[in-house]
Amino acid sequence: MAKEMIAMLLAGGQGSRLYALTDKLAKPAVPFGGKYRIIDFPLSNCVNSGIDTVGILTQYQPLELNEYIGNGQPWDLDRLYGGVHVLPPYQKAHGSDWYKGTANAIYQNISFIERYDPKYVVILSGDQICKQDYSDFLEFHKEKNAEFSVAVMEVPWEEAPRFGLMVADENDKITEFQEKPKNPKSNLASMGIYIFNWDILKQYLEEDEADPNSENDFGNNIIPNLLRDNRQMYAYRFSGYWKDVGTISSLWEANMEVLDPEHSGIDLFDEDWKIYSRNTGMTGHKINAGAVVENAMITDGCRIKGTVKHSILFGGVKVEAGAVVEDAVVMGGTTIKAGAVVKHCIVAENVTIGENAVVGAMPTEEEKGVATIGSGVTIGDGVVVGPSAMVRENVEGGEVG
Amino acid sequence: MIKSSTDVIGIIFPNSYDDLVPELVSVRLMASIPFASRYRIIDFILSSMTHAGIDNISVVVNKNYHSLMDHLGAGREWDLVRKNGGLHIFPPFAEKQVGGPYVGRAGALANLLGFLKSQKEKYVVMSDTNVVVNFDFNAMLRAHMDSGADLTIAYNEQELPKELLDYQTNDRIFYYTFDIEQGRIRKVSINPKTAGVQNTSMNIFVIERELLIELVSNAYMEGRSFFMRDVIMPQLGKLNIQAYKYTGYVARISGMKSYFEENMKLLDDYNLDALFSAAPIYTKIRGDNPTHYKDGAKVQNVMMADGCVIEGEVENSVIFRGVKVGKGARIKNCILMQDTVVEAGASVEYLITDKNVTISAGKEMKGTDTFPVYIEKYKTV
Repeated sequence: MAKEMIAMLLAGGQGSRLYALTDKLAKPAVPFGGKYRIIDFPLSNCVNSGIDTVGILTQYQPLELNEYIGNGQPWDLDRLYGGVHVLPPYQKAHGSDWYKGTANAIYQNISFIERYDPKYVVILSGDQICKQDYSDFLEFHKEKNAEFSVAVMEVPWEEAPRFGLMVADENDKITEFQEKPKNPKSNLASMGIYIFNWDILKQYLEEDEADPNSENDFGNNIIPNLLRDNRQMYAYRFSGYWKDVGTISSLWEANMEVLDPEHSGIDLFDEDWKIYSRNTGMTGHKINAGAVVENAMITDGCRIKGTVKHSILFGGVKVEAGAVVEDAVVMGGTTIKAGAVVKHCIVAENVTIGENAVVGAMPTEEEKGVATIGSGVTIGDGVVVGPSAMVRENVEGGEVG
Repeated sequence: MIKSSTDVIGIIFPNSYDDLVPELVSVRLMASIPFASRYRIIDFILSSMTHAGIDNISVVVNKNYHSLMDHLGAGREWDLVRKNGGLHIFPPFAEKQVGGPYVGRAGALANLLGFLKSQKEKYVVMSDTNVVVNFDFNAMLRAHMDSGADLTIAYNEQELPKELLDYQTNDRIFYYTFDIEQGRIRKVSINPKTAGVQNTSMNIFVIERELLIELVSNAYMEGRSFFMRDVIMPQLGKLNIQAYKYTGYVARISGMKSYFEENMKLLDDYNLDALFSAAPIYTKIRGDNPTHYKDGAKVQNVMMADGCVIEGEVENSVIFRGVKVGKGARIKNCILMQDTVVEAGASVEYLITDKNVTISAGKEMKGTDTFPVYIEKYKTV
C-alpha cells in the first residue's frame, strides 16, 4: 500500500556550535522548553499533519536519541505499517559509508523510502523550533504542480546574508538560489524543509551520488542541479514561529521566548497543535513556603525553595532556599544549592551548583554572554563562573571564564 | 527481585469503599479518584504490582467504571501491554456462569472463577484501592512464603480515622482490625469503635490460587459475598492466616475529610518523599506542557501538576493538571482537580473542585478545615 507522503528527518548533525551541550548528545536530543527535546517539534508536526511514517537519519552520538525515540509511542508513531524508524549508516554487501552529506544520508536510505512507495517525501531538519502544518505545505506543492518546494521565511534584509536565499517570481516560482550572499536579491530564507516528488528526488540523488566532485548536500548540490534543469521549483512562504537553535545564544533566546507567547508567537499551550514528548514519570512539582516564583515555566519533579524569575526549569530541578535563578534555562535533574546565584545562562542536565556559587551574570553593554554548564558537571561551593564561560568539567574552586 | 514474583497474578477491586466518598464517586469509582496533583488512586497499587514483576493483573469493576476504563486504556503506562497476561478488566457480565453486578469481594471473585481456573500462576495478590501506598509486594510475598501461611493479610498500625469511628450505621462493613499472636491473626473485628492505635487491615491479601478458588467456590455455593467476614473469619482457627505488618507511608481515604487531609499532608516534603521515593508511580500521560507562572503569580506551599497557567495567588493547595488561575484570583487551602478554572478576582478557600469546574470572576467561596466545600464536575459557580 502506498503512502502519499513520508518524512525524512535529518538528525545527524553534530551541533558543534552548542559546545558543551552536545558533547554527549546529538543536537536534536537537546532539551528545550521545560519538558521537550528539539526533535519533539518536527515529530509532533508530522503527526499533527497526518504523516505517520518518519525516517530519522542519525549519525553523531545516537545513543540517547535512539533511546528517547524508542518505538515512537509518545508521538503516536508506533504503527503497524510505517511509524518512526531510526536510520543510522549501516554496512552493506559492498562496503559501508558514514553519511557524507545531507543528500547522501537520504541516498543511502532509498530502499527504506521505496518500501512505502510514496508520491512525495518531505525532508525535515532536526535543529529547529517550529510549529508547521506540513499538509498545508503539501497542498501548496500540489496546487503549483511543483516537483520541488521549499519552505521559506521572510527575514529582515540586513540579516539576509546569513541565510540560503530563494529568489522567486510573483507566482512563487524559484528562479535563483543564493547561499549566504554578500548582496542578497531576496529576503526569503530557506528553512531547510523541502517537499520533493519522490521520482524526482530519487533521480537527482542517484545523479548526485555518481558525481565524484559533489559534497552530497541539498543546499550546495541538489537544489543547484534542479535549478540548472529548470525544474518546477516553488517557494512556500511560512509566517509562524521558526527558530534555528544551532547556537547557545539562539537556544537560550528561544527558551526565553516560550515565556512570552503573546509576543514571540511560540505557544506551547495550543491545544490544536500539541507538542508531544516522552514523559519522565515524576510527581507534580512543589513550591515551598518562602519560595518566590515569577514568570517561570516549571514542570514535574521540581522542588522550589528559593527564588526563580523569568526562567525555564526542566523535570526534577531542585532550587534550595536562598538560591536565585534568573533568566536561566535549567535542564532536568539539576540541583542548585543554597545561596547559589544562577543568571542568564544554560545549565545542562544533572548538574550540581554548589552553595553560594555564582554562575553567569545579567548582561551589560560589553558582556552579553550566556554562560553554559555541560551535563553532569559539579560546580563547587563558592565557585564563580563568568558570564560567557563554557564549562565542561567539574570545577572545585576559584573562578572560571 | 525474587523469581516467584512472576508466578503471581494481581487482582484489584476498584469499587470497594465507594460509599465512603459518595460525592467523589458520583461520576467514577474509588480507584479513579484524583490524588496528589497528577494521579488516580489506582496508579499506586497498579505501579506497585508492576514494580514487583506482576504482569498479569485483573481489575474487577462493578459499576460506574467508564472513567477507570478511560484512565487505564490498554495499560501501557504501567507497562501492562503484554503478550502473556497484561491488564484485564472484568465487568459484571464478563463470564456466563455467574454474571451481573456483584456484592462484596467474594462476589467479585466468583465472577472470575473461570478465569482464575485457567491461569497457571501459583499465587494471587489482591487489593482494594482506598489505601494509597507505594507497596513492596515482593517483601510481602517473601514473608508469605517464609511463614508457610495459607493466607497473608497486610495491616498497618494506625488510629482509626475519626470519620470511621463517627460512622453511625452498621449496615455496611467498612473496616477491620486484627488481634495478632506471633504473626498469626487470631481475631478479626468488624467496624470496632476502639480508640487508639489499632492493627488496621489494609485489605491486601496473598494466597495460593488453588486455595482461593476453593474458598470462593464454596462461598459462592452458599451465597456468601463478603470475603473477610464470610470467607476468612470462619477459617481463622483452621487455616494459617498471617498478618504482614506494613511500616511504610499509608494514606487511607475514608471520606471527604480524610481525602482532603491526605492530599494536604503531601505538601510536607517529608510525607511526599515517604510516599514517592521507593519506586516511581505511573499514571496516564496527558501530554501537558510545563506549568507557566506568569507575572502576578504568587505561590506558597503548593503541589502542582503540569499544564497550569497561574496568574493569581495560590497558597497551601494541591493543583491538578491544566488548572487556570486568573489575575488577582486567590486560592487558599484548596484541591483543584483537572482543568478547573478560577477566573480573575475570584477568591476561594477550603474548596475541592472536581474536574472542569469554573469559578466565575469575582466570586467568593469558603469552606472550613473540617468541612471543605465540594463542587461537582462541570459545574460553574
